[in-house]
Amino acid sequence: MNDEIDISQLETAEILELIQDDLYDGLADEVVVSVKELLNRDMTPYDVLTQGLVAGMAVVGNDFRDGILFVPEVLMAAKAMKAGMEILRPLLVETGAPQVGSMVIGTVKGDIHDIGKNLVAMMMEGAGFNVINLGINTDADAFIDAIREHNVDILGMSALLTTTMPYMQVVIDALKDQGLREQIIVLVGGAPLNEAFAEEIGADAYCRDAAVAVETAKKLIAIKRGQLT
Amino acid sequence: MPSGRKGSVPRGSNLLQAAQELGVELESICGGRQTCGKCQVIIESGHFPKHGLTSHPDHLSPPSPLESEYDQEHNLNGRRLACAAEILADVLITVPEESQAHKQIIAKEATQRFIEIDPAIRQVYVEVEPPELGDPRGEWERIALALEKQWSLQELTIDSKLLPDLQSSLRAGDYKVTVTLWQDKEVVRIQPGYSEGSYGVAIDIGSTTVVAHLCDLRTGDVLATQATMNPQVRFGEDLMSRISYINSEPQGFVRMNRMIIKSINELIEKATAKADLTPQDITDVVAVGNTVMHHIFLGINPTQLGVAPFALAIDSPIDLKARDLGLSIHLSGRVHLLPIIAGHVGADNVGVMLAESPQEQDEVTLIVDVGTNAEIILGDKNKVYVASSPTGPAFEGAQITHGQRAAPGAIERIRIDPKTLEPRFKVIGYPQWIASGSNGLIPSEVKATGICGSGIIEAIAELFLAGIIDSKGHFLSTSADRSSRVHYDVGEAYYVLVDEQLSSTGSPIVITQEDVRAIQLAKAALYAGTKLLMDHRSITKIDRVILAGAFGTFISPYHAMVLGLIPDCDLDKVNAVGNAAGDGARLALLNKQLRLKAARIARTVEYVETPLATNFQDEFVAALNLPHASDPFPHLDGVLPLPTVEVQKKRKNRIRSKYRSRS
Repeated sequence: MNDEIDISQLETAEILELIQDDLYDGLADEVVVSVKELLNRDMTPYDVLTQGLVAGMAVVGNDFRDGILFVPEVLMAAKAMKAGMEILRPLLVETGAPQVGSMVIGTVKGDIHDIGKNLVAMMMEGAGFNVINLGINTDADAFIDAIREHNVDILGMSALLTTTMPYMQVVIDALKDQGLREQIIVLVGGAPLNEAFAEEIGADAYCRDAAVAVETAKKLIAIKRGQLT
Repeated sequence: MPSGRKGSVPRGSNLLQAAQELGVELESICGGRQTCGKCQVIIESGHFPKHGLTSHPDHLSPPSPLESEYDQEHNLNGRRLACAAEILADVLITVPEESQAHKQIIAKEATQRFIEIDPAIRQVYVEVEPPELGDPRGEWERIALALEKQWSLQELTIDSKLLPDLQSSLRAGDYKVTVTLWQDKEVVRIQPGYSEGSYGVAIDIGSTTVVAHLCDLRTGDVLATQATMNPQVRFGEDLMSRISYINSEPQGFVRMNRMIIKSINELIEKATAKADLTPQDITDVVAVGNTVMHHIFLGINPTQLGVAPFALAIDSPIDLKARDLGLSIHLSGRVHLLPIIAGHVGADNVGVMLAESPQEQDEVTLIVDVGTNAEIILGDKNKVYVASSPTGPAFEGAQITHGQRAAPGAIERIRIDPKTLEPRFKVIGYPQWIASGSNGLIPSEVKATGICGSGIIEAIAELFLAGIIDSKGHFLSTSADRSSRVHYDVGEAYYVLVDEQLSSTGSPIVITQEDVRAIQLAKAALYAGTKLLMDHRSITKIDRVILAGAFGTFISPYHAMVLGLIPDCDLDKVNAVGNAAGDGARLALLNKQLRLKAARIARTVEYVETPLATNFQDEFVAALNLPHASDPFPHLDGVLPLPTVEVQKKRKNRIRSKYRSRS
């Protein structure tokens, strides 16, 4: 499809719009071409990220929340986003661009389901977060080691079974013991959870789906950084 | 309540009205005059995290004078008359079976199957030498000798509980007795004189339903079949909620164990009464059930089955005495449990394999037991694989806006006219199709209460076939232009299946975008599990599909395939077999060789832990589409809508479409 458009003929604003639409359509190769073109035009990697990729994924997130898009389409979009990110990531580090935020995520001990959690991880990456995905059956020690090692802003925990969700409490208690609870935002999610449960175990928020997780993460980080009250 | 229905009603409504509003019909002869006593309900007390409420008898109005009068005369035993009790705050209600106006529909009749009768229990008649002075041998030893001489039975033992009555039985029969033997090893009953008739019970302990088949062990005839709701349902619909309840309530496990034993005792009592027998006539029981039910039945706390690695206490077949479990059959009666395969693949699945024997077929057979956890069995005589897939409760009507269990009033069949988008449907308990124009033609009491699992499967498939949703499961905004039944707005889309005039609640019954998504997730889990087993067996097509379980009986194979619940297959080779697990239990009850066979099956099938497979996620995502993103369905050629021109999708790629239209 690439050859249909001579991208060099487009205005920069049009390329940004194109990136957003191509993300929506899950066109990874096309996104890469556009990202490279914008960099060639001396747009900063941070602007390409925020005005192109992150803005595009925000649209995807909204339509997912509204039931217009479903898991397969969101995954395609996330893959396209990832392709664009691979070009940007080293450049972002090089230019010392501000970080959106970072997150450690995992399915708790005793639980081996991870599709929903992976979707959250991808949407968070789509929103520009740096995500460390610990996979399934993760115990408190593994969570804490990763939090220490990567010094992240957010801990995300997932459980699909009513029998495994109480383990989230164990992790939060361990965070408190280690004096880490105050410095980190704890988000929880998974089919059997609800807001009351999140409150009961002392998490910062329950996230119903991946789109809500992204919105909540952004909001809580802004509050934490004093940008919002 | 055991129906699993919940909802809010105005403060001051009485329980009878509330139950009706929620689609639960209570028995009532007096029509709410607090005199007939038919609408008795049990008020649960305590905190129920599963339902998110605290229930207490004080949350109802105190008994009225009429109700107190009824109580004095008939003793309500703590129960309340639903028509008298007004709701003041949250309550959890259990409706006893006798108060239910319509019993549950359970497709658990015993199926006709070829069975070779060779039971573990048999009766033999012997004439025993009477005692004499100078012969010091005990009475049992003389019975044993007679059994050896007349029947060549050696090394027999006798159940100790028979000893107190041994001598009186011998004398009552003038030293002629009928001895009942278990596995030709142990004497479990001694009857004076010649006696004929030995009986056993096959039990399927399902998470929702418990079924007992009373069988004549000599003829193999099913004398009575009795079913009841699993009383544990009040602690959670699915197995994991029940384990959570056990984990959170100190007495939870003991209560659940007692409840299931009590239920089974009641089933046996009712079944034997139907056949003019008593529970004392039962000397053998074979039970199957999923792993959690199996453990609870045995008095084993199932906590470990709630968390990975899902460790079983035991997976071998088990023989034990009925009295050790608290079962009220003959005091020396026996119980056999079929083996288990893995943490989530239980004795019920072994029962299915015993009944359907995929391991003996040339054709590759797929057996699917759809429930909260779908079990998948796939293979042929070369190799059989099993897996369990977490489909969630959507197929049982949970998580669906107007979903409900299969009970009278539930919509079970749905057709949507692809041109007009007008629906017609069938509800359980009424044989005719109902359409929106048929108001005057059908009895006014026939109203739809909700949509049950088989109805939901047909509904989503029909929405797809009618072009209301696309292959991605998304409501098409253009379909709102085609019919006023489709509502489309950002963040809210639904199809009106039943107008308010035909709905028991007085408000329309709809299928929403979220309902479609819930079913997509559930069916994708099932399909992906099947695909992984097909990969293991190195095949790309299957020859035969068997839909097992109570639910499978009502699924339309055609709609299941359109939905992509099952892979492509010749539709004539998709069959429902009803309660195959219970049939398996019956086979093992009537033929002891089959118990050995079951043990062999359990050892030779290979269990696949699907969520751990590296390609599970890819298979799952591809299976979300209707019927599938990439797998071909040649048997549906000409049936499926052409891939919709997805012009009107969501968001237009402005720049690309501009260039595309230029070229």
